[in-house]
Amino acid sequence: MASVQQSALSEFWDNLRGVPRRLYEVTFRNGVPKTDRTRSTFIFGNVFLHLHSVRTHLWSLRWSTTAGLGIITTAAFLITVITGVLLMFYYKPYTDVAYQSIKDIHFVVPTGRFIRNIHRWAANVMVVAVILHMARAFYTAAYRKPREFNWLIGWGLLVVTLALSFTGYLLPWDQLAYWAITIGANIAQSPREITDAIGITAWFDIGGLQRELLLGSDKVGEEALIRFYLLHVMILPIAICMLMAVHFWRIRKDGGLARPADADERVASERAQSYPVFTEQPEKTYQLAALVKGKTSAVGKGPENTLPSMPHLFYAELAVLMLTVLICLALAFVSDAPLKELANPLVPENPAKAPWYFLGLQEIVSFSAFTGGIGIPMLCIIGLGLIPFLDRETAGTGEWFGGPGGWKLVRWSILFGFSSSILVEAFAIRFGWLREWFPSVPQLVITLINPGTVLTGIFAVYSIWLVRRYNSTRAGALGLFTCFLCGFIVLTVIGTYFRGPNWDFYWSPSQWQAH
Amino acid sequence: MNKNKYLLLISSAGVLLLLVIAAVSENFFKEWHGIQASAKNPEGAIESRLRQVVNPNLRTADRCVTCHVGMAPGEQIASSLKVAAAHKPVFHSPSEMGCTVCHGGQGLATTRDDAHGTVAFWTEPMLPAKYAYAGCGTCHTPLGVPTSGVLANARKSFERLDCYACHRVDGRGGTIRVGGDVTGMEGPDLSATGIKGYNAEWYVGHVAKIASNEAWKNAFREIPDHERAALKVFLDTRMGASRLVEAKAEFNTLGCAGCHKVGNFGGDAGVDLSLSGFKDPNQVSFANVPGEHKLENWIKQHFRSPVSTVSGSQMPALGLKEDQIDLLTMYVLSLRRRTLPDVYLPKDRVRAMRFGAREFVADGEGIYAAVCTACHGASGGGTRFPGLVPNPSITNPDFLELASDEFIAQTIIKGRSGRPMLAWGERENGLSADEVAALVAYIRKLGGGVQAKPDPLPRIWAKGDTTSGGRLYTANCAGCHGALGEGRDGPAIGNKPFLDIVSDTYLTETISRGRRGTTMQGFATGSVIRRSLTPSEIEAIVVYLRSIGTK
Repeated sequence: MASVQQSALSEFWDNLRGVPRRLYEVTFRNGVPKTDRTRSTFIFGNVFLHLHSVRTHLWSLRWSTTAGLGIITTAAFLITVITGVLLMFYYKPYTDVAYQSIKDIHFVVPTGRFIRNIHRWAANVMVVAVILHMARAFYTAAYRKPREFNWLIGWGLLVVTLALSFTGYLLPWDQLAYWAITIGANIAQSPREITDAIGITAWFDIGGLQRELLLGSDKVGEEALIRFYLLHVMILPIAICMLMAVHFWRIRKDGGLARPADADERVASERAQSYPVFTEQPEKTYQLAALVKGKTSAVGKGPENTLPSMPHLFYAELAVLMLTVLICLALAFVSDAPLKELANPLVPENPAKAPWYFLGLQEIVSFSAFTGGIGIPMLCIIGLGLIPFLDRETAGTGEWFGGPGGWKLVRWSILFGFSSSILVEAFAIRFGWLREWFPSVPQLVITLINPGTVLTGIFAVYSIWLVRRYNSTRAGALGLFTCFLCGFIVLTVIGTYFRGPNWDFYWSPSQWQAH
Repeated sequence: MNKNKYLLLISSAGVLLLLVIAAVSENFFKEWHGIQASAKNPEGAIESRLRQVVNPNLRTADRCVTCHVGMAPGEQIASSLKVAAAHKPVFHSPSEMGCTVCHGGQGLATTRDDAHGTVAFWTEPMLPAKYAYAGCGTCHTPLGVPTSGVLANARKSFERLDCYACHRVDGRGGTIRVGGDVTGMEGPDLSATGIKGYNAEWYVGHVAKIASNEAWKNAFREIPDHERAALKVFLDTRMGASRLVEAKAEFNTLGCAGCHKVGNFGGDAGVDLSLSGFKDPNQVSFANVPGEHKLENWIKQHFRSPVSTVSGSQMPALGLKEDQIDLLTMYVLSLRRRTLPDVYLPKDRVRAMRFGAREFVADGEGIYAAVCTACHGASGGGTRFPGLVPNPSITNPDFLELASDEFIAQTIIKGRSGRPMLAWGERENGLSADEVAALVAYIRKLGGGVQAKPDPLPRIWAKGDTTSGGRLYTANCAGCHGALGEGRDGPAIGNKPFLDIVSDTYLTETISRGRRGTTMQGFATGSVIRRSLTPSEIEAIVVYLRSIGTK
């Protein structure tokens, strides 16, 4: 008995001494990821890393392929999560203390103001990056088969990103927040413009219902604040995390990033300069890859022109991640997140402006709430979602501005898009619109005919003309998408910098008179 | 791959650098760190940390004492820096009340400009030191403040009678020890007698001392009644903020309440001033305001030239002197009544808000000065401001002779509909019957004591033909009084509330005799430009006038 006890005890002692070694072994289950093989298994064995494929095509590693925009968006999101959680320690989502808690974050919480600045800038970087990322995917025709589904996921991510940013806007409970959300809520109510015009609001008030769902009350108050807070810190982050996981994972399942058919030949020169491919024979990598469907995957083409994701892809990703952090930190250093006066329902901001990315819409809202708030956004969202289903061509996939017309068409479209948007806006600003000419005109007419719908019409006609001229849907899509971006930029800039009190036109905010 | 490696390296180094800079500046380079480093308490250097005064009842957390560390509660701190000096002794302990409740500013802030509130998006900058006592207005409402003349007279009496020799008021005087020996008591401090009260029998006591105490014989003499009345005014108005009381006296003297409401009393022609001390300097136009963009400069310029400061303002330029403007600015800044928890609600505020206590002295003179002066003039002679309805003289002897006390009282109570004259007796918290009676008596006093002539006739007795009366009215009266008596340069004699109380005697006598010192000439005698009217013609005009008044 004694000897057994002794051996069990010594075994226990040995086990105890062996804890660090075993801990190391169970963590790095397949050995230290030093060789290509252990690195591959490392990726496979890790739930987060396995969203990547084990090997990455040289084409995907080119900076010009994606400009790192997806990673920038992801990095910005991670920054907002980290800074956002830090802010949550101090923020109190109640109308009587919310503003005060932001002041405390500014003045008392160590580096609190800096963290809030980072949070704000990362959120803006994320919005910009997600729009540019969408443009990249569009211009490289990366939405095409088999990536249609992932385009739709990205489309969802765009919407959730804007929703996250918008819900965060209310939380400081200052004048800026209060009146921006008031505008937002009125936009949600804008279907009333239609229901009023045809006289059915009394029994079918979809606008009022939307507004009430958004605010939980008939005015912006405590209910709205709690609602926005919950959406901002829980529901939308969970939604975006799930969508992101699917988005990343679909990249692998769809055979990596979209690349041109002749990508292999074009990366040949880079291969020579790279870290040697196949330092040793992989054992099972391609058995798994063989299950992946699709003609653009590595199946049947051999592993040439790919590099191990670890470390090549990871270095690229980490570099972009840190660059994004640096950009957000630097912006946070030079520019403070705004915090205006305590929200005061009795003193309307004039002009009351929505967050910048909605100012283009607000510009249209100034003519017709329904067109700017519901009509055009729905058109844009539906249009963006339909892109991969309407353009089913194959020419130019993976190429910047690929497809009939190419860069030349896009160039002309930029010119056309900018000039037509500026002209229509300049006309409306200089000469007024229907309401100024015929004060008694029914609002329904303005809902149908306003600078927003006129621009939409011009762009639509232009893209139909392109489809016929190039005999290609892709050409029409290139033109329409480019015009859409140009219109977005022009309207946003006008709404941001050139609109003052009462939404009147001013050349510079310095001309706004105190009111 | 090397490009990515270098990018990663550089970015990471940059991030590290920025984080280090942020951490260092946060922990070592805030302004208050330097201030606290200069400060010492009896035990030596003080601990460098954020300090604050928290008052949950007032919902304040004032971090001002992080820099003004000498004012931090319960600490004895000395510093070479002025900013860290201790607070001078005041009625309310800063360690209980905090700072912002009196001084304004942003208590939550820990940097100078933010804390002083002189930044964009903070609506309540600190009160300037010069107007510091305006801060009392956050909670307090000095009541029964006399006119500035009465107040100045009271101060003069106090000085002339040399009360300062023994008594201390607002840090001045109280140096003589009667009796010459060190055991003799100096007189009590009288700085807050208006709040804390004082022995009303003080004079009897003082006089008795003359008999019993040899030293007092030289120090004190009997005081005549009117001087004692002035001293009473002085004592009643010692509320610890003498400049604020002076400011309020100025407001009560210029008749501002005739147009402006403060709290629950005043007219509606001007804006309600109850919270004008909280006006956000970021929300007013400084386009025509010289000097720094500060609220006090805006208010001053507004007094000098209302229309150029606020476009569309109806307020006439009152031609005030700079020292008057300074006092009124102080008063306007003091109008910052905050919602207070019951524990901090001062008695004066309760009396004013819940029991309608007057903020001016509610005798005839006080009411007239506070309510009537701006329009009818300090001596009742009427005023005329460009672009506004002229305000009639109410001390004209011809008027006072014809107007019965009842007529004047009813005019004050019911006002004139649609005219600047409000119904002062029918308004919420308006003048009581006693106050109106006192006011009528004071108006007669202003007019040199002219009493109304008894009128044996009934109120309405004139007979005549409306048509010929109308013709005569159009020819003789409409030019000044308006085609329908709506008033132009002359008063609105077709105004219904006027016709409801005026007697025919008043009208016929006024028409036939006119009013001396005005453009209203008597029509019983002719002039070079018109013929005289007969009594029956005058009666016809009165009948016509009554007919248009009923329309």
